[in-house]
Amino acid sequence: MTSTDLLLQQIINGLSLGSMYALLALGFTLVYGIMELINFSHFNVFMVGAMVAMLVLQAMGVQGQDTIMTGLPLIGVLLVGFAAAMIVCGGIGVGIERLLLRPLRAVKGPPAMITTIGVSYVLFNVVLLTIGTDAKNFPNPLPPIVWHIGGAVLRLREVLIWAIALVLMGALTYFVQFTKVGKAMRATAQDPEAARMMGVEVDRVVATAFFLGSALAGASGMIFGLYYNLAKVDIGFGAGLRAFTAAVLGGIGNVPGAMLGGVIIGLIESSSGQIVGAAWTDVVIFSLLVLVLVFRPAGLLGRIAPNKS
Amino acid sequence: MISRRSTFKAAAGVAAAASIGVKAAQAADKVVKIAIDLSFTGADADSAARVANGGILAFEEANANHTVPGYTFLVEKFDDATATAGQYDPAQAATNARKIVSDKGFVAALGPQMSGAGKAMAPILSQGDVATITPSSTNPDITDPKFAAQYRPAGKAIYFRTVATDAFQGPNMANYMMDVLKVKSVYVLDDSGAYGVGLADAFQAQAKKRGMNVMGRDRLDPKEADYSAVLTKIKSLNPQALYYGGVGQAGVKLVKQAYDIVPGLIKAGGDGIYGADILKGAGFPAVEGWYATNAAPHVTEDPKTKAFGEAFYKRFGMYDEDYSVTCYVGAQVIIAAVKSLVTAGKPVTRDTVRDAINGTKLADSLIGPVEFDANGDIKNKIISVFQVKEDKTKPLDDPDSQFKYIGVAQAIA
Repeated sequence: MTSTDLLLQQIINGLSLGSMYALLALGFTLVYGIMELINFSHFNVFMVGAMVAMLVLQAMGVQGQDTIMTGLPLIGVLLVGFAAAMIVCGGIGVGIERLLLRPLRAVKGPPAMITTIGVSYVLFNVVLLTIGTDAKNFPNPLPPIVWHIGGAVLRLREVLIWAIALVLMGALTYFVQFTKVGKAMRATAQDPEAARMMGVEVDRVVATAFFLGSALAGASGMIFGLYYNLAKVDIGFGAGLRAFTAAVLGGIGNVPGAMLGGVIIGLIESSSGQIVGAAWTDVVIFSLLVLVLVFRPAGLLGRIAPNKS
Repeated sequence: MISRRSTFKAAAGVAAAASIGVKAAQAADKVVKIAIDLSFTGADADSAARVANGGILAFEEANANHTVPGYTFLVEKFDDATATAGQYDPAQAATNARKIVSDKGFVAALGPQMSGAGKAMAPILSQGDVATITPSSTNPDITDPKFAAQYRPAGKAIYFRTVATDAFQGPNMANYMMDVLKVKSVYVLDDSGAYGVGLADAFQAQAKKRGMNVMGRDRLDPKEADYSAVLTKIKSLNPQALYYGGVGQAGVKLVKQAYDIVPGLIKAGGDGIYGADILKGAGFPAVEGWYATNAAPHVTEDPKTKAFGEAFYKRFGMYDEDYSVTCYVGAQVIIAAVKSLVTAGKPVTRDTVRDAINGTKLADSLIGPVEFDANGDIKNKIISVFQVKEDKTKPLDDPDSQFKYIGVAQAIA
């Protein structure tokens, strides 16, 4: 392997990680943008997404690494898997908002955030007690197609992950920028009170943000499973923390910022694993985050909104 | 087929009946009481019965053959597991140790099965001067002179082993890689845990000492999901082998991703990856070809133990396991120690038996030569090497059928 091949390979690794972090970061950013709430339940909604996808794939007869599919059956199985993970997680997100956070909306300060931490642990323990603590062999129906680019290796599943992440991020951007609900979301993010006075149904906007963010977490749960062929009850904390960091790095509340942050974190992770050793990855990531925040306190693409103190 | 529970009951019943019978028949003999402390309840009950029977068989043979003239061995079982714990319970182990110490009839013991029980028992047995020989506990701390104040406060070694400790898995595997697998270059990973770091350090030191090219060392965060960066780095360095010190949490992910990124490498780990976790979580084909070690001799497949296995089955109606053999050998050590005292005309007491055990040499037991160092560790440290080879006819998550025994990793200075 030449050093160019190595660089290319680490970029491929980093982009795959980054796509997953980006999707997950969007969930943090959507909710924060509208409610100024850091939703810690997001960590484990992601994990539930991976578990749901695993159970659904298994129910469709995809077992371990033994069932390889191609063509329409593959597309069908993947669509059903993604749809199930996204709908269940979206539903959980809406449920958390409607049942637990809405009653607290008028309360200033940390109660809402503490609630989301509590929900996170409830989800964690429900899965722990029902599915167990051991690492599960996530069913992977993707054919083992591999392209060699020089000495670097590009696999079908990486291409697929990038494609799915791009499609979902594109759809979200379109939704937020050009649809009526999207405009309402942006309006609410800028000034909830003014938006309400202009006839925006703030409750619906908040519920939509939770649904979308959690559905994206579900999708990244499925992506996690397909990429690592693994699902485990504790995957939420590691990936969730990185994704949250990505959201802050990009500018929390800013949709393109979350995507950019995700990709940057992914690339840092793979390059620091190469250059200074995997044990130092967290040190590198968080040092960089601190540096960026010193010079750009609102993150790379974030702006401190003048009408929010 | 006999169910586990009934096997255990039957074995226990037979054993109890046997010891009573022996006692009655040779009432004129002096009785030497030996305690066997194992985890007879819960998760390890099945294994405990097999282990205990190995020791019982040795004492029965000694009694029948009058190996020690004028002396009869009487075995008493102690259960260090509780139903509430579902496995060994350190508190129960400590209670048993106190019982053994307070009954002056006991001159030595066999057990315990688990290191956790051993840590609870060792200080009490030390104070009571009761030597015990463990057939299966491999945690190195208990016999490590560094922790002497904790585990043998009275000073002398009282915790003897007929198995090696975990501390030898790394170095012996380095020898095995060098000598058997002809590996010249290796990359070492650990999982940041105490066990994993220690194992990897020990492996790395020995690999360097033997002249292997250690191309790098890195640490995996077990909470992290992605090891592709470090594996890509390893790929670019192109070593012949990868050694992983750690347990299943990082191991499962490493096995999966290593299969994708560095499929051609020789890959090995310690007993942390020997088990159902790896088979279930990583699964085939990723886990195929991985080497793993165990800090005990794997003797049930050894032709030398065939006669023992047959006698064992005939006597107890169940199959033996590796630790039945190490327990049998442990009992032989105690018998030899008592015999040497009797022959020399010395009194058979706890402290004389302890000293005699420490001085006993069995030239050729079922597990090879047995002799202890000053800390109670066996000198001939046998590490068994296994390799994962898929056997589709057996359950794919059953370690006994998917990890194939391939030989012994030697301890070479």
